[in-house]
Amino acid sequence: MASILLRNRLFFGADAPCTWADLLEQGQAWAGDPTGYADRRVVFVVPDMRHACMAVAYGMAHSLDWGVIEAARLSEAVEERFAENGVHLIEAGSGAVLGRTPLPAQVQPGRVTVLTSGTTGLLKLIAHTHASLNTFDRVTDLPANSWFLPYQIGSYAWYQMVALGMFVADQDLIPGDFSDLAESFKTALSRGLVTAISSTPTFWRHALMSLDEALLASADMRSISMGGEIVDQPILDRLAGLYPSARIKHIYASSEAGAAIVVSDGKAGFDAALLADTDSRTIAIKVEDDRLYIRSPYGNTGDQGGWIDTGDLVETRAGRVYFCGRAGNTMINVGGQKAFPPDIEGHLMAHPEVVWAQVTARRAPMVGNLPVASVVLRTPMDEADAEQMLITHCEGTLAEYAVPRLWDFPKQIPMRASLKS
Amino acid sequence: MIRSDILDLMNMVMKKRGREPLADEGQSTREAGFRSLDFSEVALRIESKVGRELSFEAASMRQIETVKDVLDFFEEAIKG
Repeated sequence: MASILLRNRLFFGADAPCTWADLLEQGQAWAGDPTGYADRRVVFVVPDMRHACMAVAYGMAHSLDWGVIEAARLSEAVEERFAENGVHLIEAGSGAVLGRTPLPAQVQPGRVTVLTSGTTGLLKLIAHTHASLNTFDRVTDLPANSWFLPYQIGSYAWYQMVALGMFVADQDLIPGDFSDLAESFKTALSRGLVTAISSTPTFWRHALMSLDEALLASADMRSISMGGEIVDQPILDRLAGLYPSARIKHIYASSEAGAAIVVSDGKAGFDAALLADTDSRTIAIKVEDDRLYIRSPYGNTGDQGGWIDTGDLVETRAGRVYFCGRAGNTMINVGGQKAFPPDIEGHLMAHPEVVWAQVTARRAPMVGNLPVASVVLRTPMDEADAEQMLITHCEGTLAEYAVPRLWDFPKQIPMRASLKS
Repeated sequence: MIRSDILDLMNMVMKKRGREPLADEGQSTREAGFRSLDFSEVALRIESKVGRELSFEAASMRQIETVKDVLDFFEEAIKG
């Protein structure tokens, strides 16, 4: 397996930096003799981000069959989920076994258990390895960076970033405190540390609303990656304005398919030419019945070799492929006409006064459903005026049936644990 | 919620769409430009005001032709 780059650094909160060597040593002292875990599939239960990174160093260094979860996420249902999958929950530090006795399971040294709640909210365990998580292994000459790490412990995106910090030279990490992400981002920016971020559009919208713009702009930002949600043109333009010298890219990845599409031309969607090029690309993509399929070596082992149905709907317009949302819960049928929430949301978010928008369906007589919008405004204003302003913005561009009929104006952007909204 | 409240809601929807207010109850909804989307919006706004989901009878909805028909229909639905 690839060697851990022990000299790469991590910055926790306002603390002095430490290295992976420090964390490995601390993990060793904390978790004890690894032979005790060699015959079990384990997930280490940790109290915070620092201990999570210690567990990662320990699990990777000893090629255990392992994973990590923060203690705050445990519940009876979650423990049951692990037991069903033959996972021993280990309170690292005390070594105590938590939850009920797991079902027998085959141990696979080197397997990493990634946690995802998916779109269903049900915790899923996805099998990866250090190799499938190390999606930066083919990137050559990555400049030195300090990455703010906003993701939840144990998620696919979190492991990917941790793998970057462990296995790619000169890539330092600034792990955020998930219990108060905005504050930890502010601390990291104030320390002048952040030069790169991988996150979601919702994370950025949240930051743009809650942090001082001068502080945000003060960062020497060189690399911005976004994924996890549809990346729309307004957020790309906003970040390009804020960080004119940063390389801004959006990445399409999923826990099941791994990282698959990287777009760095500053435009939403991706070039349709990628669909035709199935031979020279290691990662192949295709569209069938408006659904996106991916074949990727970074996919988890369960799906190795085959095409993975991503469940995402796409549409090709003028040589560009755009994401239209998830199959099954995307389209709103308004009196027999199809309205697509991502299109409506994208148009709303192109308005300079709109920070975030979400469009859903509400059952209605006569036409079956109506689109209704929830919108966070940049500056507070009278709701009736805001509604009129946005209706005017939509009319003439969106079809009449796609113009939202009811409006709600929350003060804050809702953000889930996945940093999505 | 009384008849004039329903008419106010209908006119609010008309105004938002840049259309003339509904002049009298005998006016045809088609001529006034009060469309099925507007009808559905008014229905949802009434539900929000009365705080419950109303049940709408499809057969009655199909017979709506005038502003009066709309007002009668919603009055009945609210009585439920």
